Amino acid sequence: MKKLLVNIQRSGDQQEVFEVEYQPGMTVLDVLERIYQKHDPSIAYRFSCRTGLCTTCMMMINGKPGLSCLKMASPDDGILHLAPLPKGETVKDLVKKM
Amino acid sequence: MKTIKTGILVIGSGAAGLSASVYAAQYTHENILVIDKGAVGKSGSTVGAVQIASLGSWSHQDDHEEAFLQDIEKSGRGLSDPSLTKSIADDIRQRLKEITDWGLKLDKNEEQEVAVYETSGHSFSRSVSARKGKAGLGILQTLIRKANAMNHIDMWSDVITLQLVKSAGRIIGAVVLDQRTNEPYLIQSQAVILATGGIGQLYPITSNPVQSTGDGFSLSLQAGAQLIDMEQIQFYPVSMIAPQSIAGLCISFYHFSKLYNRDGERFMKRYQPDYLENTTRDQLSIAIGKEVAAGRETDHGGVWLDASEVIENVKRQFPHEYDLCKDRGIDLSKQHAEVGPAAHFMMGGVKINSNASSSIPRLFIAGETSGGLHGANRLGNNALSECLVFGARAGIEAARILEEETPVDHQSFADYELGWAKRLLTYIHQPHSSKSIKRRPYVIKEKIQSVLGNYVGVIRTKDGLCKAQQDLKEIQEQLFETRVANPDAYSRDILDFIEASHMLQTSLAIVRSAQMRTESRGAHYHVDYPEQEIDTYHTCIQVENENMKLSKKPVKGV
Ligand SMILES: Cc1cc2nc3c(=O)[nH]c(=O)nc-3n(C[C@H](O)[C@H](O)[C@H](O)COP(=O)(O)OP(=O)(O)OC[C@H]3O[C@@H](n4cnc5c(N)ncnc54)[C@H](O)[C@@H]3O)c2cc1C
Ligand code: FES
Repeated sequence: MKKLLVNIQRSGDQQEVFEVEYQPGMTVLDVLERIYQKHDPSIAYRFSCRTGLCTTCMMMINGKPGLSCLKMASPDDGILHLAPLPKGETVKDLVKKM
Repeated sequence: MKTIKTGILVIGSGAAGLSASVYAAQYTHENILVIDKGAVGKSGSTVGAVQIASLGSWSHQDDHEEAFLQDIEKSGRGLSDPSLTKSIADDIRQRLKEITDWGLKLDKNEEQEVAVYETSGHSFSRSVSARKGKAGLGILQTLIRKANAMNHIDMWSDVITLQLVKSAGRIIGAVVLDQRTNEPYLIQSQAVILATGGIGQLYPITSNPVQSTGDGFSLSLQAGAQLIDMEQIQFYPVSMIAPQSIAGLCISFYHFSKLYNRDGERFMKRYQPDYLENTTRDQLSIAIGKEVAAGRETDHGGVWLDASEVIENVKRQFPHEYDLCKDRGIDLSKQHAEVGPAAHFMMGGVKINSNASSSIPRLFIAGETSGGLHGANRLGNNALSECLVFGARAGIEAARILEEETPVDHQSFADYELGWAKRLLTYIHQPHSSKSIKRRPYVIKEKIQSVLGNYVGVIRTKDGLCKAQQDLKEIQEQLFETRVANPDAYSRDILDFIEASHMLQTSLAIVRSAQMRTESRGAHYHVDYPEQEIDTYHTCIQVENENMKLSKKPVKGV
């Protein structure tokens, strides 16, 4: 089983790296769901529709703003870097105040 | 517990909750507080809605209120409440006009006229859209703008409702938890408008957003309100079932595509030779369900969709769906897609009258959480119309009560019945040793989904429903044995725990209603009772002394 390295910028300017079991067809949101269920229950991120419409799952993905439910995760692209959007107040980890 | 006071509390910020707020605000100067467990205006099913059915300047010369009403009643198969169908037919024209006056721009055709689309079951073309096929989003943005412009509407995101507060037989507030701080609040109000949307997340495959966990039905039940026809769940017949990341995505172009079973047979020729795939949602879901039950299903338990012959049309009308499938490795111009029914819409719900008032004074219900309008089969694009019409009615009536009736003096009710909320809060905040308990709340949610998916899907049986009831009882006992692993602020574990508690109540109501309906009608197909009975009745559920009381209520005049 391939592994995916995910670096997440968490609250308090902490960086944390997770090694997640990769399954083909995973989106960035699926990766976060897996981290929540299997690695760290305290990870915080927002989402709703899972189809690219609500925009609540927006975050910095490899340095660029993107919708985590639309962006595919790939183990061949090196470490996946996730961070909250720079603008506005961050509630926790990847969650912005809305 | 800290207390917050407001005139009207609106729970849920989809099209129904926001309509309720802006209409209420026009009739009272008292404060209106809108709360949502997700981001306000971005977390409900409304976000995904494409079109809205309405009368308007675009209507065919022979189309009118009576024709609209008759279409709904015909589709409802005897279960639509005539006072509600009349309300929607009477009001929708005006409501849509108002929201366009507030800035909603309807999509236009090449001649620069409002583009109108046909929808199966509507005898005239009535569906219009906004924001290039994103009518739901357009409506939400317009209502949010309107609400922001009124300084007595406050909106509060990330706040989940645990329990409605009842005193002297009236609803006078709610207990909520602010997820950002983990602080519980008692919100005291003169009226509550509940608009929490649907139940899709009770099923493993759904078109609904993650927030659609059926909270409003459980909150209402617990408050003593009556639910009707909870077995009537609309499955969107053709949604993606693989790959997992887009499971539940609705395929809007199924009625002009072709469906095949695993043997390569275009099976709709057998079920509906005249209409084929272009039939009502209930009939198509049941046909697919029967193919699956007969073992003629694809690897993931569905059927094949072939849209290759109409692909240009698909790309033009539904680019979002086409692109999303392509992105996930399914090029519909060349490949078949695995599709099947997805839990989509709750047609049953809290019983209301034409003022959107529940059976309990000062509790109003709007949008998908209310029951009785669509009966046993909702026509496409009538859900948004329902939200605008009954959101407005709920808001106006709540404001009237606020202005005209003697206010509730919350001080005189020192001791509310807050037992359930307190039990949830105590459990959440007690230390959870990770060694002794392994199961987390999300596992409870998955278990509920699996029970409903297995036994309370499109095709139902007596044995299956009985098993579902037993399994849910067992899962209920496990809820207060789960490990809330993260006790901090913005904890998904806590959210999952509270949602699981609502999901269990609502699931049980669905199962018990399905058991009560010993016939097949509309979306409820029962293998052991495959015929529709001559007598028409509603299945009703109410909680009395902590027990679910079931009854069948005959429909008058059918
Ligand atoms: C993908 C999709 C496409 C659709 N397309 C159409 C269409 O084209 N035309 C049409 O007419 N209908 C369509 N429908 C149906 C329609 O969108 C919905 O029925 C309707 O929008 C529901 O609106 P609502 O305001 O009742 O609830 P929602 O929009 O679901 O809003 C409910 C809100 O309540 C909040 N909430 C829930 N529980 C709690 C709680 N305990 N505490 C606090 N807040 C809570 C949620 O977070 C959510 O924001 C579609 C549905 C889906 C899922
Ligand atoms: S979850 Fe809605 S856009 Fe990603």
